[in-house]
Amino acid sequence: MGKINNISKAVLGSVAAGMTGAGNAAAAPVAEVESPANGRPHRGKVFVAVHAHLDDIPRYCGGTIAKLLKEGYTGYLVRTTNDEKIGGLTNANNVLVHEQEHLNMAKALGFKDVFELYTREHRVHDISPIEIRGRLIFIFRYLKADTVISYNPRMNCEEDSDRLFAGKAVEEACHMSGMDNDFPEYKEGGVYPYSVSERYCFSTNPGDMFNRVVDIGSTIEGKINAIAECKIRGGGVKGAELRKELAAQGKKLAILGNNDAAANREYIRNFIMKPSSTFEGIDNYGLEYAERFMYFDDRKTGEELAVEDYIKTNAEKL
Amino acid sequence: MERRKFFGSTLAGGALLGSKSARAQTKQSDSFAKTKKSNPFFKVDYEMSGYNPFSISSDVIFDKDLVIEHAVKGQPHKGKVFVAIQPHADDIPLYCSGLCSKLVNEGYTGHIIRMTNEDMSGRGTVGEGMAYIELHDANIAKACGMEKSIDLNFSKHRLETVHIQELKMRLVFLFRALKVDTVITFDPYNSYEENPDHWMTAYATMPACWHAGGGKEYPEFRKAGIDGHSVREKYYYPRSPQGHNIINRIVDISDVIDQKVKANIASVNFGPAGINGSVLRQRLAQEGKRLPILGNTDDEANFNYIKDLLMEDWHALGKEFGLEYAEAYHYIGPDYDGYSSISEYVEKNAVPLK
Repeated sequence: MGKINNISKAVLGSVAAGMTGAGNAAAAPVAEVESPANGRPHRGKVFVAVHAHLDDIPRYCGGTIAKLLKEGYTGYLVRTTNDEKIGGLTNANNVLVHEQEHLNMAKALGFKDVFELYTREHRVHDISPIEIRGRLIFIFRYLKADTVISYNPRMNCEEDSDRLFAGKAVEEACHMSGMDNDFPEYKEGGVYPYSVSERYCFSTNPGDMFNRVVDIGSTIEGKINAIAECKIRGGGVKGAELRKELAAQGKKLAILGNNDAAANREYIRNFIMKPSSTFEGIDNYGLEYAERFMYFDDRKTGEELAVEDYIKTNAEKL
Repeated sequence: MERRKFFGSTLAGGALLGSKSARAQTKQSDSFAKTKKSNPFFKVDYEMSGYNPFSISSDVIFDKDLVIEHAVKGQPHKGKVFVAIQPHADDIPLYCSGLCSKLVNEGYTGHIIRMTNEDMSGRGTVGEGMAYIELHDANIAKACGMEKSIDLNFSKHRLETVHIQELKMRLVFLFRALKVDTVITFDPYNSYEENPDHWMTAYATMPACWHAGGGKEYPEFRKAGIDGHSVREKYYYPRSPQGHNIINRIVDISDVIDQKVKANIASVNFGPAGINGSVLRQRLAQEGKRLPILGNTDDEANFNYIKDLLMEDWHALGKEFGLEYAEAYHYIGPDYDGYSSISEYVEKNAVPLK
């Protein structure tokens, strides 16, 4: 299967990084590099990005999102939780502020629309996994999602159950979205099975497997714009806060500039966005900024690819 | 399956239920009025036939404002939609195919929703049973004049392991997509109901009827153009093996009894009806006997077996209300609209400022 090929490469990528340590130039790059494409080769295609919390997509794959949109994709964003637990306000006000900032962040990155599932943060085990799967399948079918971007459901040492649950639900929904007998009643609403053919799975922890490194050098400003909208969580206002704190001490930092907006952006650039030269495992790909994924190409199965290869080398004239 | 013991019917004055929801075309029967005058509680004793192990409950409380719903001429309900929700493929034919046929005749578009895949039913292997029963859904729908059957395919007798939120979500979707006005299913308060598929179906249907009209439930359906749609009427059919059902509506199915019989014939390979008439006729023939009511052909045997034997309890119920055949329900009509009452009050009582 195509997936096995991806995984075997990824094992090499991760083991190489792990054994030689972060930033060790001796580790050979084995993951595929996805460079910016010329023009808009993905025009007409749709991707859906799914995350549990306001700041996960911008932080872990905002650059790739901006790149794919630039290359012609139409993108949609799904948030699974209501983010009620973070923000320092009451539950209801945390939900309200996150809701508003989520829309602003989506607009900053260029998403066409946002779907909110509003499950309660940190209470994912209350929920029926099949219900969430059913809702995601509905969204993937309705939008005709060709590509889905979400968490790697096999992230190591991920403490946040919302992320693991979302990653697993997305993986299952992608698998079943094209199947006639899963949620067949959606046809009654004019929503028909549609196969997801590519997946980008990001990890929140270094050391996890990856087989694709995406060059986001040309879209880094878009990523910074998106993170800057994540104010209640995600560090979007930390630059301004630091500038104010230093000013109270009679100090300043040149990189934070002369106003809050500049301070926020530069804080994000210098302290939240690590250039790939310092990010474990992808420092030896020669890219200024990069994001890494486990990428799955389901456009053809391993069997189909094997048959094609075999035909190329073995087919004879009649 | 052993037939449960049924007590004689009991009567008690029930609470006033939904008086504002009575359909315009109903009236109470004379026999009911007479009975009510002679006894403070509504008492009806009718003899269950004992032929049908899955008949209606005999231990019911008849609401003192019981309504009898007769057939209505013309098609006053044209444009409206009902769904009949059954956990199993023989539930609608047995319990409510008379009402389904009547509503279709009166203009409704009807659909069946079948919750389980019947993997525990039917003759042959699991796969054979499932495939055979799946074919019959279409025949059952056709017999009642309904458009189609939508199968949700949960595993039979395991519905209580399914998260009720998933059941609700899928029903909410269907109620919205099909724009359902009226729902028919098991009474959620069937006492001592042993079959988990029955009560899970009913428990999930109740809130789904309400949430289908909701603004913030499943907003992604709205984004796909499938807007909220409130279910306005529910007919719940009673099946308490023991304990009481509160019945507030008797539906006259005299005109559609033959359609009910045909719907039950379509339940081949499982349930008490189907082709059991012809099977009995053939068995008796092998023993050198015959039963006159089974007629001279297999088709006659199937039809007459069901009509003369299995439908006897619905015939007995009907006779108590001056009808040939009747089905009993707990009916819940459109929600009480407090706002229009307030508007009326304002209209009547508002006075000039000075």
